[in-house]
Amino acid sequence: MHLIFFKVAAIFYLLASIVYVTFLLRSESSKCLSGFGFILAGLVAHTISIVHLFIAEGFFAMATGFDALSLFAWLVVAIHTTIQFRDPNPVLGSMAAPIATVLMLVASTLSYQITQPIVPVLKSWWLPIHVSFALAGNAVFTIMAMAGAMYIFQERLIKRKKIGRFHRILPSLETLDTLNRRALPIGFFFLTLGIISGALWASSAWGSYWNWDPKETWSLITWFAYAAMVHQRLALGWRGKKAAMLALAGFALVMFTFIGVSLLFVGHHSFVSLALRMVPA
Amino acid sequence: MIRPTHDFLVLGINHNTAPVLIREKVSFPGNHDGAITRFLTQTGGLLECIVLSTCNRSEIIAVTKDPDSSAENLIRLVSEIHGLNQDRIRSYFYIKKGPEAVRHLFRVTSSLDSMVLGEPQIVGQVKEAFRRDATANTTGPLLNRLMHRAFFTAKRVRTETGVALSAVSIAYVAVELAKKILGDLEQRQALLVGAGEMAELTARYLANVVKKPIRIINRTFENACMLASQFEGSADSIEKLDDALAMADMVISSTGSCDPIIRFQQMKAVMRRRRHKPIFMIDIAIPRDIEPEVNDLDGVYLYNIDDLQSVVEENIGERRLEAEKAGGIVDQEVNKFINWTRSLEWAPTIVALKEKFEEIRTNEMSKMNGKLGSLNEAEKDAIEILTKAIINKIAHGPISFMKQSIKTKKINQHVDFVQRVFGLDEFVSDTEPEDAKTSEYEIDHRN
Repeated sequence: MHLIFFKVAAIFYLLASIVYVTFLLRSESSKCLSGFGFILAGLVAHTISIVHLFIAEGFFAMATGFDALSLFAWLVVAIHTTIQFRDPNPVLGSMAAPIATVLMLVASTLSYQITQPIVPVLKSWWLPIHVSFALAGNAVFTIMAMAGAMYIFQERLIKRKKIGRFHRILPSLETLDTLNRRALPIGFFFLTLGIISGALWASSAWGSYWNWDPKETWSLITWFAYAAMVHQRLALGWRGKKAAMLALAGFALVMFTFIGVSLLFVGHHSFVSLALRMVPA
Repeated sequence: MIRPTHDFLVLGINHNTAPVLIREKVSFPGNHDGAITRFLTQTGGLLECIVLSTCNRSEIIAVTKDPDSSAENLIRLVSEIHGLNQDRIRSYFYIKKGPEAVRHLFRVTSSLDSMVLGEPQIVGQVKEAFRRDATANTTGPLLNRLMHRAFFTAKRVRTETGVALSAVSIAYVAVELAKKILGDLEQRQALLVGAGEMAELTARYLANVVKKPIRIINRTFENACMLASQFEGSADSIEKLDDALAMADMVISSTGSCDPIIRFQQMKAVMRRRRHKPIFMIDIAIPRDIEPEVNDLDGVYLYNIDDLQSVVEENIGERRLEAEKAGGIVDQEVNKFINWTRSLEWAPTIVALKEKFEEIRTNEMSKMNGKLGSLNEAEKDAIEILTKAIINKIAHGPISFMKQSIKTKKINQHVDFVQRVFGLDEFVSDTEPEDAKTSEYEIDHRN
């Protein structure tokens, strides 16, 4: 059942992406409105899919790579939708929709069924809490990176005096920098909670808060990177282009921690053959 | 044809056909209550009329039985009203008839014929002229419909093309740019460097955009004070320039200085003090007031007058491209409208045809009345339905024959043919053309 809604959501995101990309190429304002309509429809279907899965399977709804990517996509779309309602701009949508689509497509190639018996350690309420916080942080940093990319592009156009179609449809530098300023502490907050909840869970499961598993190490590196960013922004007043470039660099680190580490290293967080294999510390 | 033909006529002069010297003489500024429109309508033998008068054009939009003689009359009347020699001004006028008149009006209303392509005022001006002349009772069903289609076309052009999207004046370009850098401008600090004529013009414009008091800095402090008092701003002497730069969000410099007064090193220090908060600088002075290298500093966006001018030119080029797209929309709407006016030509004939058939049917029914007396009510109803169905089926052939003629553009021959075959002459002549515009036919062509 939840799979049908998942597929419907994926199709809506795909349609939204097509509409948005057409909009970007031809800059027709009527088109982007229907793009946002598709996004909303997709978000509704996606929410139903996730809620249904949660009800049907309880807290194991977060146990596979499929679930993680799906929730990640949902968070990106949900945050994007909130921003759209406050300050509508089609360019953000034309980045969020394709990202959500890709996440959904990748997720759909993964198995959504738990093929092997679930390791006892995963049967804990810590699982959804930990995963939700970590992914919320990721999603906020994703949106922040999109704003950063838009900032760099818009800044370049203004600096080089190439005032054209793209300049007009991109938001103002002020708007984009404000987005960065507001998103940074929120994302950092979620990342911190994700790490703390992970540590608490580890302590209750294995009796030790920190085990230097690769994911933990890289999360800590990411945390320090964003802590530095928060510091630069608040204490040193870094803003504008510098902040935008940092947002992009931070996003690369986040993505490596999220996907790269899982593929390259083996640890508590590895989803080998996309079922669950837990290596006790 | 029995029905008199009605045609659209546009007679006018605009910025392309006449110099301003002539245009200002042939305008109708005193037409507030539509008195001139009424006069032209009555004296010029027009059926319906609207007079449009703006700074760049004066036009008479009319419905008349004979466009050629009406145009002559109007030229004579206009030259008499303004006390001009008709032969001297004749060459400045353009005369458009039928579909061309419709197309011209649609283009004008969509701002495709404007001096500044896509400027937004013209729709309002046309609407005002229409409202005024509708109140003066010089418009009728044809012009009412025509004007509504013109406004609809203008709306389509505005929403479906980018013809009115890009800024095409230096001041407007500068404000749009400032918004793209600084967001909302109301609470931003504007700084004017220099207190000359250009600075005054800029301050006047800025006062509409920025709510915060404008700061003015000038080498001669007294001049800065004078300008500041005009716009409720604050004045400072040139020594305070660095402090002012550190606080400002927008700087417009227009001094008569021969050497740059804002230099790279100086601005670099200012940016450190501002903690690299973005600043939009406009240098409208010649020679330049701000060293061009300042633009390389992070967070500084420096535009000089040539930069702004080239943006304006680019935008004008963009509007031209969009205007071509808009031309397609206008063509579509003109075709729809012309088809509708053609439908008016066959509408009375359809009414006449149906009336004639109905008359035959009721006559024949009453003749048969004696013989049908034995039938009961249900049977009589059945015969009523049957006979009505027969005449409707028969009428269908000629009606669709006429409707199809819209595509072949031989509508007059087709309508004439149907009228002669069915002997409708006496029926049609009883029908006033206005009656023909029944709601039934309007629905057919709403799209």
